[in-house]
Amino acid sequence: MVQISLPKNSEVKKGKYFKDKTGSKNLRKVNIYRWDPSTGDNPRIDTYEVDMDNCPSKVLDILNKIKNEIDSTLAYRRSCAHGVCGSCAMNMGGKNGLACTTPHAEIDGDIDIYPLPHLKVKRDLIGDLDGLYKQYQSIEPWLKNNSTKQTTEIYQSKEDRAKLDGAYECIMCACCSTSCPSYWWNGDKYLGPAVLLQAYRWIIDSRDEERKARLKKVADEFKLYRCHTILNCTNACPKGLNPAKAIAEIKKMLATANV
Amino acid sequence: MENKPLSPHIQIYKWHISSLVSISHRITGIINILAITLMCIWFALILLGESNYEIIKIFLQTFVGKFILIGITWSFSFQMLSEIRHLIMDFGYGFDLKITKITGLLVIFGSLILTILIYLIGRGLN
Repeated sequence: MVQISLPKNSEVKKGKYFKDKTGSKNLRKVNIYRWDPSTGDNPRIDTYEVDMDNCPSKVLDILNKIKNEIDSTLAYRRSCAHGVCGSCAMNMGGKNGLACTTPHAEIDGDIDIYPLPHLKVKRDLIGDLDGLYKQYQSIEPWLKNNSTKQTTEIYQSKEDRAKLDGAYECIMCACCSTSCPSYWWNGDKYLGPAVLLQAYRWIIDSRDEERKARLKKVADEFKLYRCHTILNCTNACPKGLNPAKAIAEIKKMLATANV
Repeated sequence: MENKPLSPHIQIYKWHISSLVSISHRITGIINILAITLMCIWFALILLGESNYEIIKIFLQTFVGKFILIGITWSFSFQMLSEIRHLIMDFGYGFDLKITKITGLLVIFGSLILTILIYLIGRGLN
């Protein structure tokens, strides 16, 4: 159901203010969404003054700096810091992206950092992605080949391999799915851009023998057709992929093929 | 812990051209349904009598009446152009980010130009 406003327990309150202690002249205000599961309090926005003279270029660097130097209670996911693992996906300056590849210079004014939108928050910037992973599992993201006799590799032409470009690079960071209003309102039934891009990746794989069954499975009013080409997904993807186009291709296949 | 809060979504997410065109497409769609209903009522009233025609005519010449007419013209123009954009997308074209921006702007400005054109043509016919 479309619910524009946040539930009562999710309304964001004003939080603490951490004044700069370094005496730096090059300060930026960073507003961060905080929620502590051990208290019954509502989420709040804490504001930190960060010395930008001694801070590298990415948003993740700001978070690390805050955690190391100002407030060690701040919780967020991160791992590779090179845009490969997808752990540090969050909402920065109103747009989803990876904190490790988003330059803070690209954000005007104060830097607002929120968890990925419309998720159950586990703590601070950490959202619960279990639902998305379950949906990912539901499309059976592995090669299905029914022949039991084949013992050699399954060959794939260069052209067929090229079809996977733009789909296999996805790191499942969930930036796209959590940017999608359709996924916000119908996330329990609509698969969302991330999972549909992966569904597409297996549908077009020339080595896969379950193409028809896969297509049939996603051909659902809710699973697939909740996509209304809002294009928030393509705008958000930190890897420059195009989930909206992949979804359109699936729709096209369903409209033209006899499934 | 089942009291987990829901992270902010539409409250914080930045708008861009494609999302604006998309939401406007829905809003104009609803306006158009109301407009068509309204027009049906007008026509039905005309069928019921000549005096009704006069009343409607006087109403449409007031400021509010003109505002409604021009509003409906824009709403139909927008819906039509946006629908063409969606049609092209359904064929799998125009998903490049730059192109979506351009087509989105075309829809927005095109609908305004179309409204003015229809208005001028209408005045010419009068």
